[in-house]
Amino acid sequence: MAQNARGEFTELLAARGVSRRDFLKYCGSVAALLGMSEMYAPQIASAIESGAKLQPALWLAHGLCTGCTESMAQVGTPDVPTIVLDLLSLNYWETVMAAAGTQAEENIKATIDAAATTPFITIVEGSVMEGFNGYALRIGNKPGTDELKEVCAKSAAVIAVGSCAVDGGWVAGNPNPAGATGVSAFLKKNNINVPVINLPTCPVNPEWVVAILVDVLLAGELKSGKILEKLDAQGRPKFLFNSTIHDNCPRRGHFENGEFVKFGAADQAAQEAAGWCLYEMGCKGPQTYTTCPLVRWNKAISWCVESGSPCIGCGQANSLTGGSGNWVDASTPFLDRTKNVRLPGVGGVQPAVIGEVVGGIAAAGLVVHGVASAAKGRVKGVPTETEKVYDAKKKGGDK
Amino acid sequence: MTRAVIDPVTRIEGHLRVEVEVDGGVVKDAWVSGGLYRGMETVLLDREPTDAFYISQRICGVCPISHGHASTMGSEAALGIKIPNNARIIRNIIEGAETLHSHILWFYTLTALDYVDVVSALSANIADTYALAEAAGTSTADFGAIQKRLKGFVEGGQLSIFTNGYWGHPAMKLPPELNLIAVAHYLEALEIQAAAAQIIAVMGGKFPHFMTSLPGGTVWIPTEAKLDEIYFLWKTVRDWVANTFIPDTLAIAPFYLDAAGYGKGVGNYLAWGQFDAADFDPYKRTLPRGLLVGDLTLQKPDEAKIKEYIDHSWYDSADGLNPADGATKAAYSDYSTDGKYSWVKAPRLDDKPMEVGPLSRMLVAYVGGNASVKSLIDTTLAALSKAAGATLGPAALQSLLGRVAARNLETMYVADEMGKWITELIQAIESGDSTYFVEPEKDTGAGAGLWEAPRGALGHWVNVKGGKIANYQVVTPSTWDMSPRDKNGIRGPLEEALVGTPIADIEKPLEALRIVHSFDP
Repeated sequence: MAQNARGEFTELLAARGVSRRDFLKYCGSVAALLGMSEMYAPQIASAIESGAKLQPALWLAHGLCTGCTESMAQVGTPDVPTIVLDLLSLNYWETVMAAAGTQAEENIKATIDAAATTPFITIVEGSVMEGFNGYALRIGNKPGTDELKEVCAKSAAVIAVGSCAVDGGWVAGNPNPAGATGVSAFLKKNNINVPVINLPTCPVNPEWVVAILVDVLLAGELKSGKILEKLDAQGRPKFLFNSTIHDNCPRRGHFENGEFVKFGAADQAAQEAAGWCLYEMGCKGPQTYTTCPLVRWNKAISWCVESGSPCIGCGQANSLTGGSGNWVDASTPFLDRTKNVRLPGVGGVQPAVIGEVVGGIAAAGLVVHGVASAAKGRVKGVPTETEKVYDAKKKGGDK
Repeated sequence: MTRAVIDPVTRIEGHLRVEVEVDGGVVKDAWVSGGLYRGMETVLLDREPTDAFYISQRICGVCPISHGHASTMGSEAALGIKIPNNARIIRNIIEGAETLHSHILWFYTLTALDYVDVVSALSANIADTYALAEAAGTSTADFGAIQKRLKGFVEGGQLSIFTNGYWGHPAMKLPPELNLIAVAHYLEALEIQAAAAQIIAVMGGKFPHFMTSLPGGTVWIPTEAKLDEIYFLWKTVRDWVANTFIPDTLAIAPFYLDAAGYGKGVGNYLAWGQFDAADFDPYKRTLPRGLLVGDLTLQKPDEAKIKEYIDHSWYDSADGLNPADGATKAAYSDYSTDGKYSWVKAPRLDDKPMEVGPLSRMLVAYVGGNASVKSLIDTTLAALSKAAGATLGPAALQSLLGRVAARNLETMYVADEMGKWITELIQAIESGDSTYFVEPEKDTGAGAGLWEAPRGALGHWVNVKGGKIANYQVVTPSTWDMSPRDKNGIRGPLEEALVGTPIADIEKPLEALRIVHSFDP
């Protein structure tokens, strides 16, 4: 990296009241989040420093509940002011930006117009609303899909935040009344070729948004094309989505012991207080690939399973399905191990013969994944079972 | 007559378009258009009541707790479940944390930029800023460092979220020093709202979208360590509200006293009530149920008299249905302010539009004689009367200024009440009550969860047959407040509130934006 670029960046930070020491500390926490040693902090720092200008970004609001923006406001490292003042120039972010109406739209235009010299990234929150010729979402008197096509086509990269942007999310839930789909599928259909990074869960976990912004985009891996090597077939960063919740669950020991919280049992509260496993309550941890138990939520203060609720699998989005793989249809009824397969026009109530037995599928997944994990040496010294005791007893699921 | 359009309206939850007709610098007519249809009520069909608890929260990422609770209460009403006392207190605390979170985020992150000129803060004198903060009784910060950070930011030429804001607009009235104080607290508020959200995360797994208040009670079991955490977080937020949020409000308000003169709206106020008492009587809630029509006389609202009109909305089903038998069949056609122009339906109670939100709740509590609310409002009105040099009575609350003040004062009221609930929970546990959850005894029935989100009255009507949802209807606060005209051509509350608003610069209708934001859509 050129020395003058580094000097320029340090001056920029100093002008913003950020010391180099603070900056390195921040890079250290990013390293930790990415599962790397803090020794990598200087490397991350130098990668970020190679550009003195703030990375311009547009955060688009589509078929959303604003929960992903809300989630960003709960980020632990770095804090929100650092993101919006020191890391990115978020020229458009509907929920927090000062400008409205005409003035807001001018910000999009100015950013696009400057793209040739200053490439920008686009962050999409919410489902792509294709229903009613795109008028299920109206922005500036036009179908929301127009904005998406126009902006994404000019972007250096697109980050789809939250399950809705990844594959339509709950909005695509049967019967998908508003024609929701995901960003990847939509852009592909419209022949817009731009790298899309998919970050599922509902809402998105803010810590992995930051990890992606820093590691993949600011650190120059977009320009080098290395970004694509870091993504799986669904466009998800592998390091965030390659282990199941069950793999890293603190209640896992109770699963191995066959100690399960029984929903509605007289001593349910005592079982929960003892931290027993929520598998029998329908927990979707075994089939959901996210790092929630490690990264946790709301500045790492807790996470879903710690609160006593089974995981509902909100990270099970699948960008390859164009909506039909949404997590709500994949996991309801949430408090059951057997899901209802919904056929168009038939509704949710299914005869037992076509009910898909998720327990069995999950069990197979556990065996395969357990072996794979052990081979990588992830589990500290404890040999992984070839088959879970519970599943051996309940072959084919428990319904 | 000139039409001004704000589309997209920013700093809200969701998608909104506002058209105003301006003549002689004053709004003469207005149309409010909801821009997004997702179809939650349809997606929930044939699923289970427990699924509805988890999914329906996704209507709103800012108020998921209220939706979760209204959904769960609707299912409990349908299935005849009475939840355990512990669950009632736990839900109140989670709900209270959401109110604190939402109101703080609303004032500082969403609406402050309508009143606070960030660029003007650059010319503040630092010594004068400290003096002003002391005089206003609000908390201080390292104002010099914040100004320096801001300066570097502005001089860098990349203004990020502040690009193209209404800096230097003639309707911006604060002196540079007060702008700087407000910017400092704008940054601080981001930390405080997150602390409030952490209370929810401890009790509900995460925020937004929580996990624990399932129909039947709660699956969260309090431990000593968790209660400690909750108490500490609550105390941090509560003290910040008392020492920063409220003094800021009282310091800024005197510069915008003209806002007491417009923005009234329809003058009908509905509150379903929030925070259950031990006997679950909605009229004894911490924020009680009530209806104020016309001359602010208190009545009991009858939910059977609700009708949802779709004459100006993109739906195609029978007009004027009650939500208990409601239908949602989307049918888009062209946008026309003379015809159909919104994805929002037009609910009416007894054929009258209803304003919902903190102003409605605080007025209902005030008229109903709630001593804490009365004292909060009366002392605030006294302080503002002094600043105005004229007497401002409770009638002045029916305005833009009143709507903003009501939300901020409600934050203080709820923060103080929450402390009592935490103590109540600890006492209940110490008394040996270890019940948190009960199973339903039947699988068929219909009921409504009538509750409040931070932004107003919220209802989930749930009809369950054989354990599956047969019909589901939601009337959100923004359905009431952002509604288009109804069958009789009567404007919705926001549309009505916009009429009479002065507009200094038609290209930048900042004052109209203030009215929109005062409803916290």
